[in-house]
Amino acid sequence: MRYSTKTQLLSGSAIVAAGLLFSTAAMAQNVSIAFSASELGATAYNPVAASTLNTATSLIYDRLVEQDADQSYHPHLATSWEETPDGMAWTFSLLEGVTFHDDTPFNAAAVQSWIASYAGTENEYLVEAIGSVDVIDDLTVRFNMDRPEPNLLYNLASAFMGIPSPTAFAELGDNFGVTAAVGTGPYELQSFEIGFETVLVRNEDYTWGSDLSENTGPGHIETFTFREIPDQSTAFLELRTGGIDLLLGVPTDFLAILEAEANIQIIQMPGVGISYMPINVTAPPFDNILVRQATGMAIDQEGIVAAIYNGVGAPAHNFLISSLPEADVDPDLNVTYNPARAGELLDEAGWVMGDDGVRVMGDERLSVSLYTANTTELTRLTQVVQAQLGEIGMEAIITVFDSSTIRDEYRNNAHQLAVRSYDWNNSDILDWFFSGNRLGYPNVSMWEDEEGQRLNDVAMTESSTSAERIANFTAYHEYVLSQHLFVPIYQPTQNIAFNATAISVPDPVRGSRFRGQSFMDIQVVE
Amino acid sequence: MILRYTFQRLLMLIPVSFSISVVIFMIVYLLPGDPIDNLLRVGSSPEDRAELVAQYGLDRNLVVQYFVWIGNMFQGEFGQAIVLRRPVADLVAQNLPYSLTLGGLAFLFSSTVGMALGTISAIVRHPLLDRFMRGFILLGSTVPGFWLALLLILFFSVNLGWFPVSGAGGWKSLVLPVLTIGFGGVALVARVTRVALLDAQREDFVTLLHAKGLSSRTILFRHLMPHALLPVVTILALRIGWILGGAVTVEFVFGRPGLGSLLIRALGQRDYPVVQACLLMLALAVMLGTLIGDVAQASMDPRIREKKS
Repeated sequence: MRYSTKTQLLSGSAIVAAGLLFSTAAMAQNVSIAFSASELGATAYNPVAASTLNTATSLIYDRLVEQDADQSYHPHLATSWEETPDGMAWTFSLLEGVTFHDDTPFNAAAVQSWIASYAGTENEYLVEAIGSVDVIDDLTVRFNMDRPEPNLLYNLASAFMGIPSPTAFAELGDNFGVTAAVGTGPYELQSFEIGFETVLVRNEDYTWGSDLSENTGPGHIETFTFREIPDQSTAFLELRTGGIDLLLGVPTDFLAILEAEANIQIIQMPGVGISYMPINVTAPPFDNILVRQATGMAIDQEGIVAAIYNGVGAPAHNFLISSLPEADVDPDLNVTYNPARAGELLDEAGWVMGDDGVRVMGDERLSVSLYTANTTELTRLTQVVQAQLGEIGMEAIITVFDSSTIRDEYRNNAHQLAVRSYDWNNSDILDWFFSGNRLGYPNVSMWEDEEGQRLNDVAMTESSTSAERIANFTAYHEYVLSQHLFVPIYQPTQNIAFNATAISVPDPVRGSRFRGQSFMDIQVVE
Repeated sequence: MILRYTFQRLLMLIPVSFSISVVIFMIVYLLPGDPIDNLLRVGSSPEDRAELVAQYGLDRNLVVQYFVWIGNMFQGEFGQAIVLRRPVADLVAQNLPYSLTLGGLAFLFSSTVGMALGTISAIVRHPLLDRFMRGFILLGSTVPGFWLALLLILFFSVNLGWFPVSGAGGWKSLVLPVLTIGFGGVALVARVTRVALLDAQREDFVTLLHAKGLSSRTILFRHLMPHALLPVVTILALRIGWILGGAVTVEFVFGRPGLGSLLIRALGQRDYPVVQACLLMLALAVMLGTLIGDVAQASMDPRIREKKS
């Protein structure tokens, strides 16, 4: 009897223990995510000073405002804002009851100290127009502007304008974002192994999500594990086998295979960048505008989208993504495929077709260098570009560099043509790549032009309203296009794939990118 | 005698280490690219650049920079990573355990399995087995690690679901990387063991041992194996460094951290202190491996220590 009781007790304990284990397992919700290839290599979660940030940053830090997919702005840590008619002051009302992960309060003084911390950093341009910040009261700040800045809300919604705890920022110095990252976001940084893994754990006190998420309280998921998987094939196989639940940035090649998998769902969002071929205008024969124009006409954007990208994404015909109003330029300025006209332009420039299919001018062959970085997607695209240039009699010799060396080559003005890409959904990218102040890199086209710089300065600093800014940037964009400084090629889509048997993901996705606001609504499938 | 031999070998490591340290220090300066460019804000002035160069001591004479660097190395001070902005010692300490675990297990796997297969192929004289072994050895010596890794992932992870595709969590995540790195080693060690045993079997003393009536097993394990182990130990010692540094592609495919991954990342960013520290660690591993091999050989074969001492 005694033995039987003991056995029953033991069995009962085992059942209770098993039940506890089971419930713990059910509660211990961990979602694994692989970063996209373009997000690999972040060295710190420091929005103020870092030049590369990944998606996890948007969960650690909140921003004053958020931008939706339709480019509209929504309140977040700022509940409302008001701009004076002359654009010289912005007043922001701040959300009450918000605390940083280190339990210090978020208030007007924190905003003042945060804006000041950008001085001397790579990201200073984001707050360049702000002359000073006044603390009106604990929850109200005023930005006194040196000049009107119609792009201010865009800047404030950027990942680089996540708000760190001023206390932790000051205490940790250069280690901020490396050994610890303290924001007000829905998740706290638990561990960060550079180049390998970032683990975020839920901020249980979080009650201030933006209206871009259905869930404005603590996240549904207990921990998010973000992994850096350098090989795209491995990341793809991890998703197929359930090793990860979500893959940010699925290569276009893998879409068809993933679509055939019953448990995988794919979300496609409009892209935020383009692939293009900058032309070095200082390197002969490209110092001749006719040769540059002909080069642009050699590239068959539609053919490339169909052949390389299986029709996913869109051809690019100018420098900006098509959702930006400044991309709506005079159609005659768009770069389009016209090999016959390209041949005529080269003839006009004195390059006549040689016996071996390569054009010549006297003894000189039309042979040029074509640089690219060592990523699979870019090298493949470069090979197609090489073949298309060959069709108009231009021999392009490809050289592949690592990302550090290629920038050095640009700075040393050693290049002629290059194939590269960018990710940015604002027209100020034109300033980044074409300003005469940044020759070599990022101004790979090495373009210095008085009228161009004037239009750039007007667009960047002399626009008072949003409409004026659009008009100024459109004018600058059109002038850049008229100089044939680059060849636009391709506008990719953002492809996100997830294991639908493991998690549910909000549909439609709010925001211009798949980041913090969407992660708040991710749930484990029962 | 063996202590004296070891001491002599250690002394020889001093000029070797000096030469290697000079090469490692200089090689990063010969590379195109510059870590300061990765740190500079775009559009920075030459003065900003000069300030950063001075901050990292890159404006000093190369000889001075070398002696400062080597002096710091002696004190275990690896400096601060320029681009990764962390103490290099922390980065190495974070990655080294992954490399040591993977490398150690791969070494163990390739030595035990390689020696076992080599021995079997040397003593079991069956044409089919012999052909199989030759084929296996050829395959193991030539198949690229990158390709083998993908094949193993497809078969064991995707089709059978036995092991995770990538990562570094738990023993299961080690199996496929160890097999990938170890496969080439197994083939190499098997080949060397086989040849060494076959050579030893042709020695006159083996005929004598047979004549004395010793069993084949006794002859193999007591008399032939010590003979055959000499070249095997040399090969194994040389593989210590290779396994640590040669795991780069395997770490890439399996998404694992490690010294190789750190080195590749640092090279891409021209992060000189990290590149130098990683190269130094790998060079040290090769030197130590060679030393261990030499000492092991000397302890097994008195002729070596007598000839060299």
